[in-house]
Amino acid sequence: MSRTIAIVEDEVAIRENYADVMRKQGYEVQTFANRPEALAAFKQRLPDLAIIDIGLEDEIDGGFSLCQSLRAMSDTIPIIFLTARDNDFDTVCGLRMGADDYLTKDISLPHLTARIAALFRRLDVMDHPVSEDNLLTSGKLTIDTNRMTIHWDKQAIEITVTEFWMVYALAKHAGHVKSREQLMQESKIVVDDSTITSHIKRIRKKFLQLDPLFTCIDTVYGMGYRWNEPL
Amino acid sequence: MLHIPFGLRAKLVLLSCFLFAIPWLGYQYVWEMEKYLRIGQERTLVGTARALATALHERPKLFDEQASFLESVVKGRDLYAYPIDEAIQLDGQLTDWDDYAQHTLHYAEDHLIEGKRTYDRSQYQRNTLHFNHMVGKYGRYLYAFFEVTDDNVVYRAANSLRLERNDHLKIALLNPEGQFRHYVITNKKPGWLDSYLLNEVSNSPLLAKPEPRIQGKWLQTSKGYNVEIRLPLSMLGTKIGFAITDIDDKLYRKQGVTIGTSDITDHNKLGTVLVPSPEIERIIKGMGHTSYRLWVVDQHQRVLAQTGDIRSSGNIWELPSDNPKNPQTLWQKFEKTVLLPLYYKILTRPTENFLDELYDAGRLEGAQITSALNGKQKSQWRLTADKRAVILSAAYPIWIDNKVMGAVIAEETTNGIKSLRNKALEKLFNIILAVMTLGTLALFLFASRISSRIRKLRNETEQAIDEQGKIKNILKGSKTRDEIGDLSRTFASIVGRLGQYTHYLENMSSRLSHELRTPVAVVRSSLENLAMQPLNDDAKVYMERAQEGITRLNKIITNMSEATRLEQTLQNADKEAFDLMEVLRGCVEGYQYAYPEVKFKLDLSTTPLNVNGAPEYIAQLLDKLVNNAVEFSLPDQPITITAIKDKDTAMFSISNTGPALPEEMKDRIFDSMVSLRPQVQQKQPHLGIGLYIARLIAEFHQGKISAENWAEASSGKSGVVVIVSVPLLGELV
Repeated sequence: MSRTIAIVEDEVAIRENYADVMRKQGYEVQTFANRPEALAAFKQRLPDLAIIDIGLEDEIDGGFSLCQSLRAMSDTIPIIFLTARDNDFDTVCGLRMGADDYLTKDISLPHLTARIAALFRRLDVMDHPVSEDNLLTSGKLTIDTNRMTIHWDKQAIEITVTEFWMVYALAKHAGHVKSREQLMQESKIVVDDSTITSHIKRIRKKFLQLDPLFTCIDTVYGMGYRWNEPL
Repeated sequence: MLHIPFGLRAKLVLLSCFLFAIPWLGYQYVWEMEKYLRIGQERTLVGTARALATALHERPKLFDEQASFLESVVKGRDLYAYPIDEAIQLDGQLTDWDDYAQHTLHYAEDHLIEGKRTYDRSQYQRNTLHFNHMVGKYGRYLYAFFEVTDDNVVYRAANSLRLERNDHLKIALLNPEGQFRHYVITNKKPGWLDSYLLNEVSNSPLLAKPEPRIQGKWLQTSKGYNVEIRLPLSMLGTKIGFAITDIDDKLYRKQGVTIGTSDITDHNKLGTVLVPSPEIERIIKGMGHTSYRLWVVDQHQRVLAQTGDIRSSGNIWELPSDNPKNPQTLWQKFEKTVLLPLYYKILTRPTENFLDELYDAGRLEGAQITSALNGKQKSQWRLTADKRAVILSAAYPIWIDNKVMGAVIAEETTNGIKSLRNKALEKLFNIILAVMTLGTLALFLFASRISSRIRKLRNETEQAIDEQGKIKNILKGSKTRDEIGDLSRTFASIVGRLGQYTHYLENMSSRLSHELRTPVAVVRSSLENLAMQPLNDDAKVYMERAQEGITRLNKIITNMSEATRLEQTLQNADKEAFDLMEVLRGCVEGYQYAYPEVKFKLDLSTTPLNVNGAPEYIAQLLDKLVNNAVEFSLPDQPITITAIKDKDTAMFSISNTGPALPEEMKDRIFDSMVSLRPQVQQKQPHLGIGLYIARLIAEFHQGKISAENWAEASSGKSGVVVIVSVPLLGELV
């Protein structure tokens, strides 16, 4: 049974373009132009993954409330915000609503599909036992590449797909400096430098919430970032 | 040109000078008032004179005795008995008369009587005989003195019966009964006078009777002799004449020179004597207890009576004093010690110590008297001789039988009015001072208030917009319902609208990029979809070009919104203390990797420069500056990065060799959307955002950023240096 992806997007061309790609990938795609339609359909049957635009027709923040409603229906359903709004405020807002990733519309289709695939894989492997092969351990950090989960000191960290890829890229080659371009490649996004800075800040904050003494992500000015092995 | 700041306050103070019109008007008013008071005084005085004249009208008796019937009086012949204040000592010394010296008359050749017949006038020798003479009245007596100059005093021979064969004085008079009498004073030696009444019929000395009522003294002097006589007024009618005969020939004692006041041989030719009238004096005495001086003159302007003292202070114009001598209250003390002395620098205090000119009671002069004697009342003002007081004089005629027989003259100083005027002016000045002080103060406060409000508005307006034209503060419109309040509200609304516009402009790029993003996404996703289809080779080329184009477009859009995004991020960014040097070193290391073909020259401070801020943004700032420097640098020229500590700021600069900045662009290159890159150089899209971002970051750190051109004379190189200064963190623990 193929997975169902719901695309809620008021711009027909984009919606159909994305839908076409998804369908080519073998997913079943439902498209909605506005929040009420989408919500009505979700109440009947939940999709496996939802891609939501924030501004929906006449509702400026329709996407946010839709995300909230959807998250209330299901804790596990992956939700991706795909929007033209690229400011920090909306990003933080969107992620707080329980979205799994927040992407801007300039993301390339391959990058998008890679994320969708990753999210689905994460869902799939949830049920499977943890296999040691997929674990990357570095000090207190444990990364499960299969489930795309990160643990710090055995505590799980809520993390988006993009963030996971970044942490993974840094931690995989601990001690090596990763430039912003490299991080972009690894996390399959094309953004500007300050967005990368924002991402790193958010990741740091998440670790700091668990461990106020967290210092592993080091900024190497002018070059990029480095994962320091804790002593 | 020099512009002196001329504020509202100064202007209002200048305008308040018009307040000085108030004292001027007040002063004018008081002067006007004084004028009317003077007219009033004039009327009163004329009234007084008229009242007195009325009492004297049609009382011919009072005047009959006097010489008023004469058509004319001749000075020297018609004598006037001046009132004498103190008793005269009959000692021949003339010191008693000193006070009246101005009334002394001199008799010489013009008054020759006997000599005219015996020898020619030309034969008269001055040193033979001439004398000074005066008559006066004291009590019930008529006094007279003769200061005779005679080169040869001849006394009556001890055994001689003849009375006239020596130097002698003859007195001829009409007694009250109208009888003609001759008296002779003929001394044998200096001392008490020997006076005789001559017999009218016979000239014989034997018939002469001694006259004891004529008393006096004969005193020999170096020049001649003095004779001082007195005779009771009861002996005297209206006419008198004196004659002195000088006999020089001791042996023959023949007729010598005679000089007299009038021809004493004929009673018709006899001169008159006017004695101040005790009757009139009694009448007017009652009016003497005032500040007036009253005169009654006959038609020959000779004083018949006088009373009153012009200097007395019992002036009817004077107010009961409300100014106590010992000031009680603080105000009175202040007024007495500070204000009054100030006022009296301008005002003159009326004085009673003025010097009035001396009058010849024998002939009072003045236009008003002349006018009165012509039957017309008249008053006149005059200054005293020393100009310290003004005297008002009013004259009113006395009528007897439709004929002017004399005049009453009343005189008074204007001191009373002056005191009144001074009182009024004092009060006026007090009020004026108060009004002007309060008025000026009020105006000044008002002006200060207005100018401070305007200054406040100006400052607020100035602070509302920063150098880059950004709205910093929204003006709060004043609630005052006046023009300045209006202006303030207008400014507030202008700044508000400007703020909206600026906001619109600021957000335009981000909004534009946001709006463009969706169509770009459409194209992009369509192209990508298309790329998944099998394409022929030709189509692949176009596909690649289209994708390249869309990538560039995407980059432009990202750049456009970068500044806005950064601004939003900065607003929420946390600051931490960090070492600027560490960031600089790290960054430069990175740049050497990033730009392997460029040489970086470092000149960095060894001491840590601790600043408060966000290191990653400083790094971003450096990225932008170095990126710029590398792009503009000439090939094979190093880029110099320096960092020093300057007082309490950290300064770092990035300098490159290359084209200079146009002077006028130096300040503008840090503004949004300003780019100096020539079109040909633009391989990558440049929106002039980079340096704007650098400025935003510098400002986030309370720092400054500026660009300067530099030129090195020795190597002939020149270029641009961008200097960033960030305040150092205070004593970092």
